[in-house]
Amino acid sequence: MNKTPFFARFGKSEASVAWLFMAPGLLLLALFVFWPIIYSIPLALTNYSVIGKTDFVGFDNFVKALQDKSFITSLINSLLYVIVVPFIQFFSILMAILVNSNVRGIKLFRTAYYIPVVTSMVAVALIWGWLLNQNGVVNYILSNVGLMQERITWLSNKNTALWTLMFITMWKGLGYYMMIYLAGLQSIPKDLVEAAMIDGANRAQTIRKITIPLLKPYVFFCSLISLMAAIRVFDEVFILTMGGPGDATLTSSLYIYQQGFQQFNFGYSSALGLIVSVIIAALSIVIFRFNRKGGVNPY
Amino acid sequence: MRRKPLHFIKFTLLYVCLLLFAIFMMGPFLWLLSVSLMPGKNVFSFPPAIFPTFIDFENYVQVWNYMDFPRYLTNTLIIAMMGVVMNIFFSCLTAYPLAVFRFKGRDLIFTLLVATMIIPAAAGMVVNYLTVKALGVMGTYMAVVLPSAITVFNVFLMRQAFMGMPHELRDSGKVDGASEFRIWLQLSLPIVKPAVAVIGLLEFMGMWNSFLWPMIVLNDPKQYPIASALSFLNGQFAYNFGWIAAGTVISVIPIIIVFLFTQRYYMEGVSGAVKG
Repeated sequence: MNKTPFFARFGKSEASVAWLFMAPGLLLLALFVFWPIIYSIPLALTNYSVIGKTDFVGFDNFVKALQDKSFITSLINSLLYVIVVPFIQFFSILMAILVNSNVRGIKLFRTAYYIPVVTSMVAVALIWGWLLNQNGVVNYILSNVGLMQERITWLSNKNTALWTLMFITMWKGLGYYMMIYLAGLQSIPKDLVEAAMIDGANRAQTIRKITIPLLKPYVFFCSLISLMAAIRVFDEVFILTMGGPGDATLTSSLYIYQQGFQQFNFGYSSALGLIVSVIIAALSIVIFRFNRKGGVNPY
Repeated sequence: MRRKPLHFIKFTLLYVCLLLFAIFMMGPFLWLLSVSLMPGKNVFSFPPAIFPTFIDFENYVQVWNYMDFPRYLTNTLIIAMMGVVMNIFFSCLTAYPLAVFRFKGRDLIFTLLVATMIIPAAAGMVVNYLTVKALGVMGTYMAVVLPSAITVFNVFLMRQAFMGMPHELRDSGKVDGASEFRIWLQLSLPIVKPAVAVIGLLEFMGMWNSFLWPMIVLNDPKQYPIASALSFLNGQFAYNFGWIAAGTVISVIPIIIVFLFTQRYYMEGVSGAVKG
């Protein structure tokens, strides 16, 4: 008690101690997480930029956003990006099942699969940018195997660029989700499966009746995390395509950034941020409702 | 006895699948390594150089002389360590009462925090830039680290970990007359060590790999962390493949080594943190 007089003095009720514990962290979160949200509301109602006088413009920015073709395209691209989510779940569960086996050298494989997660997007983007170049290794292999007639310019063709970025996002993230699913698989009690086997269940039945239901919370967790990451995608696009060709890979995060830090339209950029946040919030509410109906507890 | 050949086929099939995925995940890195070891080799040559035909460290020597790697690596290390220490300290403090205390507004705070996870990061950047400027730390490492000195995700993970702690622990500490702070420091924290390792590592990787925010708030490229410096290098030598490859390998190796030495802790922690 004597060693910590400060906490002892205030430690009358549990609530006051709780707030003391949380104060430093909450202060930082208030400043860098909540304040940007709050402050962007008045900011969105002005034409604040580095040049010229700042005026109150009412809802002009919002009206402008709804008529801004690039913004609408960026929203559509961000929503399209969500298609990567089920692919991530499929491949990472497959990898988790593979590395869940108890064979020699399995730890080496787990590590190898995780390496893309720890490397920087700058490095990953650079490697894949070269591999996927018109004269790159991917085209060489695909055309030699006979899967392709013409060499594709993966990242600078408006029909393939967004999908190629999604592929890179998936490739880099697989190891991360694999680890979570592996944890899920290992949390399934072995005696449960054995008991089912003794009762005459076959392998397919145990997977369907035991593994999948018990893995469900993990699938929900991973889907949610990867969904949020997909909808907010920025780094890959910023480094590899900058939204191009045209607006083919322009995502909403990138467009908000461009308006803020390249065009210096801080007011407009804030308005865009608010619109996107509201859309994502609405989406998450739908997902949570949907999930609750299914009776799966997210945490 | 009859099961043996079947077992062998299964075993082989498993290894083939494992190897295919390994090639898919590691192949690009090995190819980069091979490019970096062959000075003068064009990455777009036909047939492409997947395996090195000769080994020469000239690229490494030249890029090392051109770019001040010790400086960039030191910068990165300072930034990453600041981020790790701050995140561990602040998120352990904040998550603890959210997990084990009972008080009014607890669930509201937690819900509010989790709700912010959906805001696109780019949306907050402009205001955070203005805040950092107003705090007068622009151009310092504080400006790089402060906005992510605590993240909601880490609070979330630590809360999960603290929730898995036995209730009796805190009671026994109270019976012994320890203050809440001491219970936190000496009884609770040792139990959640794996989770602390996870957020430490995640934060270390995050800080090591962040490139955009440092470029926004640091004025002098000499202060850049390695990822920012690397994207700077790419901009300058778009066609000096060997140099860029060697620079990338240099930037990637430290973080891979850190991961290799801590992965055991980390993997244990990931399972613990998600289970909750």
